[in-house]
Amino acid sequence: MRLEGIGVCQGVAIGTAFLVDDPFGRIVRVFLPAEQIDVEVTRFREALHLAQQQVLEATERFRAALGSERAYILETHLLMLRDSTFTRQIEDFIRENHANAEWAIRDVTGHMLDIYRQINDDYLRERGSDIADVSHRLIKILSGTKTRDLNEMAENAIIIADDLLPSVAADLDPKRVLGFVTNAGGWASHTSIIARSQSLPAVVGVRDLTKRVRSGETIIIDGTTGTVILRPSPETYRFYSEQRERQLQQLVHDMEERELPAITLDGREVTLRANIELIEEIEGFNRYNAAGVGLYRSEFLYSQAVNGLPSEEEQYEAYKFLAEMSGSDGAVVRTFDLGGDKLHLDGFKPERNPALGLRAIRLSLNVQHVFRTQIRAILRAASHGTLKILLPFVSNLDEVREAKNIIAEVEKELRSQRIKHEEDVEIGVMVEVPAAVILAEPLAREADFFSLGTNDLTQSLLAVDRGNENVNSLFDPMHPAVLRAIRFVADAAHRMQIPINVCGEMASNPAEVIILLGLDLLDLSMTPSAIPAIKRLIRSIRLEDARTLADQAINLTTPAEVHRYVNSRFADLGAQFLASAHFTKLAG
Amino acid sequence: MQQRTLTITNRLGLHARAAARLVKLAGAYRSDILLARNGARHRTVDAKSIFGVLLLAATQGTLIDVMVEGEDEQEALDAVCRLIEGKFGED
Repeated sequence: MRLEGIGVCQGVAIGTAFLVDDPFGRIVRVFLPAEQIDVEVTRFREALHLAQQQVLEATERFRAALGSERAYILETHLLMLRDSTFTRQIEDFIRENHANAEWAIRDVTGHMLDIYRQINDDYLRERGSDIADVSHRLIKILSGTKTRDLNEMAENAIIIADDLLPSVAADLDPKRVLGFVTNAGGWASHTSIIARSQSLPAVVGVRDLTKRVRSGETIIIDGTTGTVILRPSPETYRFYSEQRERQLQQLVHDMEERELPAITLDGREVTLRANIELIEEIEGFNRYNAAGVGLYRSEFLYSQAVNGLPSEEEQYEAYKFLAEMSGSDGAVVRTFDLGGDKLHLDGFKPERNPALGLRAIRLSLNVQHVFRTQIRAILRAASHGTLKILLPFVSNLDEVREAKNIIAEVEKELRSQRIKHEEDVEIGVMVEVPAAVILAEPLAREADFFSLGTNDLTQSLLAVDRGNENVNSLFDPMHPAVLRAIRFVADAAHRMQIPINVCGEMASNPAEVIILLGLDLLDLSMTPSAIPAIKRLIRSIRLEDARTLADQAINLTTPAEVHRYVNSRFADLGAQFLASAHFTKLAG
Repeated sequence: MQQRTLTITNRLGLHARAAARLVKLAGAYRSDILLARNGARHRTVDAKSIFGVLLLAATQGTLIDVMVEGEDEQEALDAVCRLIEGKFGED
């Protein structure tokens, strides 16, 4: 059986399904007759007793395996189960509300979790997850389901959950986990973050997943395509095993090549940077030895923030980490690319066409306090390393000027408050709207650098919504109009002598990379895991040949002609690249 | 009743492990042992309750009032003070 979801961390994993269920999800309220209440309280006390015994035994096992240093977490759980403030509240709830024990536990726990959420200390607030774990244990006992101890989990486990609780994730033994699949979640969910921080394949948003999978079954996940396969046929199993095998060889090979420079056969060095959405992805960034972060999509901070907008401090911490980790090459922070719907503005009416609406730089200039907070955080964090500011969705020089004025005001404010910060941070413009292409030269006078966002540029230039399946086949970065626009922007940047970086998906597609190189775009930013293949490509071609290819391609007049030509030439030019035994999925 | 005011000096404050030590220690005495943030006597918590102690949210530098009443109050107070002043055996 094949299920589809959203792939949030690349790669294939084959393993044994391990279901981590959410016992709170299935609780129903029962109203007990008066004569049943004492029986229910006894039922609760018996469950409590059993839970205490379980934890006590687990503590001993844990201590033997890991030493007493880590066993204290379970000791805390035991103290909670013995705490009369907790148990009495549950018993009182059962008696006063004629409630079943499960419901009482859920209610009392929920109330306690609310109190913990308000604690103004990160570490103590996190202890809320201990309360949740303790309650889960009680409910599992009451409902008669066997408690699955995470440490009894099989080797080669693929974790299946509704959504992965951080407390559960923290208890997983990373050596035994191969991947994650969840019902809930999107790109920035807990599961995605955890998976990407460990570079483990993950698929989220798989509907009805937990109803269909049983623990112990063989399961295959492909985090690149978002596919989940249950009970695979022998052929399917073999197909994915081979893919997995190649992937492992590839990884070994990538590590061997990690230190090699990205330099063409005729000696031109190309800068390969990382695109990053979540701070946690910085590990993948290190693994592939990227030259700094070419694009940090800061709006993901927004989707991770607990209460709406991330505060100045939250942002400062994230940007500071980014600055420290990205080294001397630095990191480019793109300011929030959000729409007005996300900020819950008073009187904001839903837009008919938000893609062309009040978003990105337009919103930042409209709701300036949000923008100022972000700039304050970036300038402060920039004193810990090298950060640059990138303005998204610019269509007008005045937007750049206005943003620069605000940034100058924030600098002044920080200076007068004697808050440590960096001045003269470079300010770049994201070229992704046709107006910005046409005005590339005057924009280059205002901007310290350009960042070419090829995905949005292709969409807006070709007037094609990539998410619309009626027209998405028309989305094509190799369309001659797109190639000419790119050349136009590249030429303007070179003439005005400002740096230009390409950060769209083109930068990670080998055939398209050859054209970019041919247009003298030698600074590319991509998903970290694409770096090894692109580096191999660069090391196998001559820049001179790429230039000839780009010159020819750009003079063709239809997308089909461009593809035909590039494919025929790529077979020659990329021969060495294609011949590499470790070549995986890039041929398409 | 015996009482004393102490400063939480260990780096992590009354976090889970320190709280667990304190609760276990308090549970060994017959006296009632109450804790409050200094000056907030109307909001005392039971030192024998892990939930109570964690909810104090006492980070490093917090002043804590310890109030003990019962037959072994002197011993209990001394033991609690030794634990807190000894930084819970950490740092």
